[in-house]
Amino acid sequence: MSEILVLVDKAQDTVRNVTYEVLAAALKLKEKNGASISAVYIGDNAGSIESDLGKYGADKVYKIENPSLKDFNPSLYAHALSELVNKVNADIILGGNTLQNQDFLPRVASKTKGGLTTDAIDIDLTSSSTLQVKRYKYSGKSIATLSYHDVKPMIATIRLNAYKPVEAGAAGEAVSESIDIPADDNFKVIETNIIPKERPELTEADKIVSGGRGMANGENFKLCYDLADSVGAGAGASRAAVDSGWVPYEMQVGQTGKVVSPNLYIAVGISGSVQHYAGMGSSKVIVAINKDPDAPIFQKCDYGICGDLFDVLPALTDEIKKLG
Amino acid sequence: MKILVIVRQTPDTEAKIQTNSAGNGIQTDDIKWILNPFDEFAVEEAVQIKEKSNAEVVVLTVGSDKAVDAIRTALAMGGDSGVHIKDDAFADMDTYALAKVIGAKIKALGDIDLILAGKKWIDEESSQVPLQVAEELSIPQATLASKVEVDEGSKTAKVTSVIEGGERIIELKLPALITVEQGINEPRYASLPGIMKAKKKPCEEVGKGDINGDEIGISEGELGIDGSRYKNDAIEIPTITRSLKVIDGNDVQQASSELAKLLREEAKII
Repeated sequence: MSEILVLVDKAQDTVRNVTYEVLAAALKLKEKNGASISAVYIGDNAGSIESDLGKYGADKVYKIENPSLKDFNPSLYAHALSELVNKVNADIILGGNTLQNQDFLPRVASKTKGGLTTDAIDIDLTSSSTLQVKRYKYSGKSIATLSYHDVKPMIATIRLNAYKPVEAGAAGEAVSESIDIPADDNFKVIETNIIPKERPELTEADKIVSGGRGMANGENFKLCYDLADSVGAGAGASRAAVDSGWVPYEMQVGQTGKVVSPNLYIAVGISGSVQHYAGMGSSKVIVAINKDPDAPIFQKCDYGICGDLFDVLPALTDEIKKLG
Repeated sequence: MKILVIVRQTPDTEAKIQTNSAGNGIQTDDIKWILNPFDEFAVEEAVQIKEKSNAEVVVLTVGSDKAVDAIRTALAMGGDSGVHIKDDAFADMDTYALAKVIGAKIKALGDIDLILAGKKWIDEESSQVPLQVAEELSIPQATLASKVEVDEGSKTAKVTSVIEGGERIIELKLPALITVEQGINEPRYASLPGIMKAKKKPCEEVGKGDINGDEIGISEGELGIDGSRYKNDAIEIPTITRSLKVIDGNDVQQASSELAKLLREEAKII
């Protein structure tokens, strides 16, 4: 029976939600081809993850545990997964489109002679049982459908929030996989600094509030942050705001920044250039706040207020808080 | 020291994307092409290292005739020479096949100490080709570098990398491949004298016949698009209909209350 591998993303002691989202994508394929689903943990300490993973669809859980896999090292992680692929003859490998998976899966594809696509918004099987993937191309300007040739493994990462976790079964069967991990003198982690974030990461956020040129300076972004915090949103910015040095690059949404697709995107003082829209145009609901009635964003939004953002933001934050 | 920067020519960020008649690609006729914006940071980083250490900077791309403009832009920023891999057989390759071809050429060059690349290609929405090249060359990698310090004496690079939830500092033994984060530096504009000089800098053209497939474990027949792992079936332009309910903000309280209500009751989003 063919096997679908799903990469486990674990932070401290808990399996991150993205893993369950990817299991939901794997379940969609399983319904069609009857493959078994195996979760794969790579690291130094898996813990008892099989009951949670089983609940969301994993039939089996491979645990590749080794002290030298404590720190993420793309070469060693690629080695570990490729060895497992050779052992179990997996057809398909799925993972969340996390930075770590984007980092080491390209090496896995080249090592195993497999194919890799990233950031799928939907996956399916073709009539000949190969993987088919829908993903954005040219930022958000187009959606491409790609189908794999008859190669193994067919590897894809899935966009965060693209699938909803589905409860599917009982605990998965835990299988300890011992894989020799060679020494690697070429890559040494000297220091890891986790920087506490006040708000959700843009690529994971369910809601985003972004400020643009209309914010006029960095201090005024506090108004955006207040609105963001009232709905638990991440905070973004347009290129104009970033280039002016008001907020850091990591907040930039757009074709030359982050491409996001939250359920709610509130654009404040952002005119709505082609480049910005390419980075957020696939958001489910777009709200615009701008004082210029001719701003292009008003032709591309679901809701908007045409008014001065310095008046609107505090008032809107209050109204939302009132709703509770 | 020799630094190689892998670059890509992409449609301008302002370009309107339209599907071609076959429905599996885009219309390319009226598009302005540019050096991938994220690659500018990689070229700038290479040039800054060169200015500190007398390194030589080679710029490599795969693409049709016009892609040489991306190389020329990078040379105008301070690169020394170009490698332009172009062959009709190399059009429409997937990332696997592209990495094979690029890896083979870099192997043939032989003496590259550091490979730099941008964090993402804005056309493919993908960051994987440079990393697949690192695997082809069996060299270590670091991604999303916000700082790169090269120590020529010990042949190492100390890299600060963005990771989920923070950053980490990694030491790589050279040769190594590093993708750089946006904002690692401020890419310079190509000056007019720089552009004039770039026209005279050497640019090697590499065709299919110049790539030795044996060396990269790929048969002659698999070199190029036939080595691809997947194909493009279709490209669509997403059309999302927006409801365009714009409220006049003259009465701010009223407008805000109305918007909050719409988001709660109609959109059911807050």
